[in-house]
Order: sequence, then structure tokens, then C-alpha cells
Amino acid sequence: MEGFLQLLRKDMKMILSGRFFLLAFLSLVLYSCYINFVYVKIEQENYHVYLYDPQNSFSGESEYLTEVNDRKEMEEACADRTSIGIDTSADIPEIYMLSSGIETTDHYRAIWAEAVLNGIKEEEAEIIGMYNKEEKSRREITAEFLFFELSAVGFLGLASVLFKEKQMGVIRVHGILPVSKFAFIFSKICVFLLSDLLFTVLLTLINVGVFDSFILLPGILVQAGVLSLIMTLTGFLCAVWLSDFKQFSLFYLVFAVFATTPVFLVGQMGVSWDFIIYHPMYHLFTAMKSAYFNKTSVSFPYYFTCIGAIGILFYMVWRALIREVAKEG
Amino acid sequence: MWKMGGRGMIEVKDLTFSYGKEKQALHGLTFTVEDGEIFGFLGPNGSGKSTTQKILTGILKGHGGEVSLFGENILSVHTRDFFQKVGVLFEFPYLYTNLSGVDNLKYFASFYPRGQVRDVFELLEQLEFKKDFLKKPVSSYSKGMRQRVSMARALISNPKLLFLDEPTSGLDPSGAVLFRKIIEEERRKGTTVFLTTHNMVDADLLCDRVAFISNGKIAALDTPEKLKEKNSSHLVEIDYLYNGERQKRVIETRELEKGLPFLHEEVLSIHSKEPTLEDMFIQYTGRGLS
Repeated sequence: MEGFLQLLRKDMKMILSGRFFLLAFLSLVLYSCYINFVYVKIEQENYHVYLYDPQNSFSGESEYLTEVNDRKEMEEACADRTSIGIDTSADIPEIYMLSSGIETTDHYRAIWAEAVLNGIKEEEAEIIGMYNKEEKSRREITAEFLFFELSAVGFLGLASVLFKEKQMGVIRVHGILPVSKFAFIFSKICVFLLSDLLFTVLLTLINVGVFDSFILLPGILVQAGVLSLIMTLTGFLCAVWLSDFKQFSLFYLVFAVFATTPVFLVGQMGVSWDFIIYHPMYHLFTAMKSAYFNKTSVSFPYYFTCIGAIGILFYMVWRALIREVAKEG
Repeated sequence: MWKMGGRGMIEVKDLTFSYGKEKQALHGLTFTVEDGEIFGFLGPNGSGKSTTQKILTGILKGHGGEVSLFGENILSVHTRDFFQKVGVLFEFPYLYTNLSGVDNLKYFASFYPRGQVRDVFELLEQLEFKKDFLKKPVSSYSKGMRQRVSMARALISNPKLLFLDEPTSGLDPSGAVLFRKIIEEERRKGTTVFLTTHNMVDADLLCDRVAFISNGKIAALDTPEKLKEKNSSHLVEIDYLYNGERQKRVIETRELEKGLPFLHEEVLSIHSKEPTLEDMFIQYTGRGLS
């Protein structure tokens, strides 16, 4: 136990000297400023709807609707790829629009155009959540930033510390000290887990609000803990496997492109990909988001898989560490 | 001198090891290191020295044959207690470069029981470490200073068994003399030393016995004196003055028993023609040490 505490103290010193906490603090400030001063103030304009109605079949009025004189004018107005045209010259009205490139967005545009044509009645709106727009925005973006921070920045943090130790060769010295390799791995994981959990608490308190945070934090901390453990162990493994930081940077780039970008595009940009349900990071992402909306949709297989993944990663890290200790200088 | 009949601190029988399926590094090594002995393990790079040391220190697993340390099978000794009794000096000075030498030593010492640990400052003084650098980060140290801190790390726990890999590497001549003196002191205290090196001067001056290892096999094992004696030509070379001229002559050592068997005015120098340990190494293994 004493040896473990010494390792913990040393790892804390290493992280402090590597300015990791400063980086985490700056991320916290940056995310919070963006959420409070930019994101919650974003108001999305409604899509413009242009109506070509040569037979004057449309009798209603709508502030969202602009009538045009011919089909060509309608098509020109819709060239911005956000506006929607409705052509009623035929028996069945036709919705005309140029794709925005995102299937989900196009789907919402079509629904909106139809609603405008049929006349929007506020009282008929279906209540699909218990949060107002600002609450929803805050929770949504906080969950996304936390996911990004834990999966990308935390991963990098541990790797940078470990690469330093690798370069200095001191990992090998730990192979002949009266302290177990488990303790060596465990102390690093503990430091980064504690740091990630503290980051989670602060980010949530600042951006979701103190009262709501107390209700949400237990669930959020569980998800943050799972993600932090998986990413820290992955970072550990890569840092031990790869020979230098150059190789690691390349791997990090590939990881960012293939592991986190699809999840971010689906989660934030509304891109729809069927394969995403097979992407492990997507499930971690949705679990994190669910926790911010106090949903208990996460199932037993999810936790079973996560615990299994953590166990396998820990074993792989342990094996990789044994190999690293035995390497030539 | 090593104690005949003493309990074997390290006993190795038919030790084999392979890196992968094709690269066999050790081919059945057999040797014993007695308690309190300085045992030299000599060989060129890639001969299997480091592999053997790694197996003995528990860093490398999966060997064949039998190995015992402290009288116990190696498979059961690599526990916390074992590492408390062992000190290892690696070939390279592995230290936290962002910490000072003192902080490095305090950190590594913290893993051992307090009563066992030596005083950091006393130890560094013994190693003639420059006082001005005690609190400075290791990144500002010369190679020799780093080697001194590394040696202090290996000695800090008062080990009963000391593994030293190229201890005088990176040291100036006076540093090398100091390190040899410290290793001798360790032997006087009863510490067993397993010295891995290709420095023949260290081996000749320090070791009670040496093993020549080449291509994963022990080519010869004996005291340095006996190894040289066995192959000695028993000749001496004498430089002398005669008729005002400098002359040189090689004679057999037994001829000296009755005085110099030739006329001379002044003897300038007498050199033994005894082979060096390096000559012996080349003779036994058919290759040099670099």
C-alpha cells in the first residue's frame, strides 16, 4: 500500500510538471465560455418556404410562406439548399428542395414545409421532452464536450506522461523494485480517473446548473468513469506499444478520424449512418448523453461489455508493460 | 576470495532462452555464484549477458533449465521480499530527469523498508557526487554524474545481491577507480556481486571468478589468474643497458631464479609476457569483446 501511495504521488508530480492540469483547466474555461456565451444564444432561423400556386388552391396565410410567380423563380429561391419549394400546379402538390447533404435535416425540412402548407397550430405541438430550449442545449453540448475531452484529451494526457517515462527508461527500473506492476498501472489510472471525474463535476456544475447537477451527477459520473478508464487504458497501451511520440501522433490522428469523428458527426451534425450502431464509441457517447438527460436507457449488456473491455485492456496493458520492462536500453 | 563450499547465492543449470522460435539466445548455461563472491560475466554485445541478467532479476520469463537464487527456485523467488534483497545497476542511467538526484533516490528508496535504506546524502558523498548538483534536476547532469546517482540507487537498499551491468561505463578514470573501490567495499560487507561487462580491466581487478560467454554458451569459467596462468608462456621481457645501448631480451621466468642470465649495466624495465584476460577471451571464444 505504501509503495502504491509513492507511485501515486510521483504520478501526480509527473502530471503537474507536464502541465496536464493546466491544459484541463483551460479546456474547462474554453468549453464553459463557448456554452454560456455562444451555444445557448444560437437561434436557428426557420427554413423559408416558397409556394408556386398557379391555380390559387392555397387559401391560408402563413408568415413562413412566400409566394412566387413561376417554377423557375421557386427553383432559384431554393438554390441555397435550406429553403423549400412547394409546387401545387399538378393535382398532387410537389415538395421541391436541393439536398443539404444530411438526410435527417432534409427529412425535417420536408416535414416543416408540409406543416407550413397545412397551417401551423401551436396548440397541436407535441411535447416530446421536459426541458426548455436552453436546458436542452446546455445538457446536449456539455455531454458532447465531456465526451470529446475524455476520449481525446485524456487519452493524450496519459500517453504523454508515459512516453516521458519511457524515454527516461525509468519504467525498466520499476521492474526490479519491490512494487507490483499492477500498482504501477493502477496508480496512473487512478490519477487520470480522479482528474477526469473532477473535470466532469466542474464542467457539469458550471454549465448545467448546481441544482440539476446534483440530480444528474451520479449517472454522469458512472459514464465518465467508464469512458475515462477505457480511454486511459487505451492511451497506456498505445504509449507502451508504439516506439515514439511521432508514431503515437500518427495513431492519434487515425484514432480521432475513425473513432471519434463519426460519433461526433452523427451526434452533433445529424449525419445518419446505419453502421454507427456497431461503433463502440457511439454507445459510450449515447450513454453519456442519456445520463445528461437523466434517462436510464443504458442496459445490462452495455455495462457487461464495458467491464469486459476494461478487464481485457488492463490485461493487455499488463502484458505490454512486462514486455517493455524486458526491452533493451 | 570466494568461499569454497559456501552456499550458492546463484545456481544455474542448463539455462536456455529463446526470443521467438528461431532466435535462441542461451544454449544451456551452467554456473554457480557463491555467497559474497564477485562473479564476472564477460562477453561481447549480443552474447547473452544481458539476457542472463534479466532472467536472474526476474525481468525475463520463459527460460528453460534450472535457476535458483538465495537457495530457492527462481520461479518462486521473484516476490517483494526478493526485490528488497537485490540491487540492480542497468547499463544506462535510468533516472527521472525532471527530478534532482536526491529526489530520485528518495523516491526509489521509498519502496524499501525504512530500516534497510541507507542515507541518501552519505551515499552520494561516498560516490563523490558534486554537492552543487544535489538539488538540480538530473537533466543538467553529466553522464558520469548520472552513473553515480544510478549506482547510489542500486546500493540504497543495502542489497545482499548486486547486479551490475557495465558499472564503469561513462566514467572518467578516477571515477572508474572509485567505483571499483566501492564494489570492493560491498564485497567486504558480504554482498554478492554479479558483474556483467566487456571491460576486461574491471573484470581482472575485481572478479573472484569470471565466465566467458560467447553466442549464448560459456566458453570458460575460472579465476582470472588461473585463466591467464593456464595459457601463460612463462616469459618475461627485459629492457636493459649494455655498453651504453638500450637492449631488449625475452627469457623464461624460471631463468630469473638465478639472476639475469646475461651481461648488463642497468635494468630499465621487466614486463611479464603473461596473456591478458582479453587475450584469453579471444583464445577461448575466437572473437573480440567490442
